[in-house]
Amino acid sequence: MARTVDIIKKQRKASEAAREKLKEFNRMKKAISNALKDRPLTIPQIAEKINQPSDKVLFYLMSMYKYGLVEVDSIDEMDEYYLYRLKQQATNKK
Amino acid sequence: MLKPKTHYDALVVGGGIAGQETALNLANLGYKVALVEKDYSIGGKMILLSKVFPTLDCAACITTPKVSETARHPNIDVFTYSEVEDIYKQERGFKFTLRQKPRYVTEDCTGCQLCEQVCPVVVEDQYQYGLIGRKAIFIPHSIANPRIAAIDMDNCTLCGLCENVCPPKSIDFTQTEQVTQITATAVVLATGYKLFDPTVIKRYGYGKYKNVVTAMQMERQLVPTRPFNNVLRPSDGKVPDNIAYVLCTGSRDATVGSPICSQVCCMYSTKQAQLLMGALPMADVTLYYINIRAYGKGFCEFYQQARSMGVGYVKGKVGRIFEKDNGNLIVRYEDIETGEVAETEHDLVVLSIGILPNKDYQKLFKNVIVEHDPYNYVKQVDELTSPARTSVDGVFVAGTASGPMDIPDSILSAGAASSEAASYLRKVYKQIQPSLN
Repeated sequence: MARTVDIIKKQRKASEAAREKLKEFNRMKKAISNALKDRPLTIPQIAEKINQPSDKVLFYLMSMYKYGLVEVDSIDEMDEYYLYRLKQQATNKK
Repeated sequence: MLKPKTHYDALVVGGGIAGQETALNLANLGYKVALVEKDYSIGGKMILLSKVFPTLDCAACITTPKVSETARHPNIDVFTYSEVEDIYKQERGFKFTLRQKPRYVTEDCTGCQLCEQVCPVVVEDQYQYGLIGRKAIFIPHSIANPRIAAIDMDNCTLCGLCENVCPPKSIDFTQTEQVTQITATAVVLATGYKLFDPTVIKRYGYGKYKNVVTAMQMERQLVPTRPFNNVLRPSDGKVPDNIAYVLCTGSRDATVGSPICSQVCCMYSTKQAQLLMGALPMADVTLYYINIRAYGKGFCEFYQQARSMGVGYVKGKVGRIFEKDNGNLIVRYEDIETGEVAETEHDLVVLSIGILPNKDYQKLFKNVIVEHDPYNYVKQVDELTSPARTSVDGVFVAGTASGPMDIPDSILSAGAASSEAASYLRKVYKQIQPSLN
């Protein structure tokens, strides 16, 4: 059966803003995943490693947490920042 | 999409707690009700709260049974993601237009969320007040009713991955808006309120300083389905240990067009302070207030309980907030007791934003005017003896559409509105059919 998305694609195009958001998420997901490949890190550590603002890292990291791509590892010695790690099983699928 | 009937006994505009209560009361009396909600889910703002004051009962546990009862009631047709337009008063009753907007997902959706997993776009989640992202296809929130996904077409890249994986084949990109003309004998306005936009007060830095958040954003951080793994500050994910609340942000402030008390901020801030002390036992929580208004049953005791738990209350009017390089915030305030200006450092500031009227009702009616009070809430023309009556015969008001109030008062108000609407319906039908018992 034909997909309804193919019908609608003939009538309209996706917005440039939507395409940019897709690219942005993919860029950040890849960068955060690479940063966490070796060991768990805190948000400021990830931000420093990938050279991105820490609030932006928080937004995307927590979105990845919501969709099961990362998980909490532990909290640092000062009880200030959580360390996050990749959720290996989920990572391969998404 | 649900196909509407041509006539209902009552149209209830708004599916929050007041709208649901009104619809249920009328439906239980046998009246047919159309409940129209502009959002994807009924439940209003209450469904997004953590706990209620002063009992600290779980808000979701109270509201979800009512939401389910409303959704399943045989006498109620619930239209979500729909709007009412062009209401005309007629000789008997009202004529209106119902606009059902497409969510591009049919009622066959089982809420499995497989589509969310494959959708490649992440945008700000409006149900988490922008703290984290959601996908372009999404279930609004975990206790949404109906639990049907929706596609945010503005942010969809038309990749079609959701359609590929949907088990019941419920994705339909060709869905279109449905516009229907309907009549109703009575109308109940339960359009609720809007939250104050704190970007209006630039000196508080909301939107500029990442660690200045609204109380609704903090509320989401305190619910079980919270955006983060714990309460964290948005600038860098630090666990906050010194949190300030700025009360009366957008309330009792004529300079921002909101001169009256919002009635709920003192108590919801006190509630959040207590919940924070549970979530973060080492944290200091300070509330900057002008007056604490603990007027309801058990409110004063609730406030005293917070003080005895160690919540700090500073009688001070906050003038300005500054950000330090480390993301901490300096709160400058006038200490009302001493008259001195003082500054204190905090690592997270929560603005206790107030309630504003939702003026949407003013555009609904075309040939009659539903009058408003001096603050733009629906005018209660006989507030003392018939509080749900408006300036238009057959139109009633329920909940915060008539003014700021808390959840129990909204439900009480809805009880009054449904009683008055039922009485009106009875009177009208008796005129048509005098033999009616």
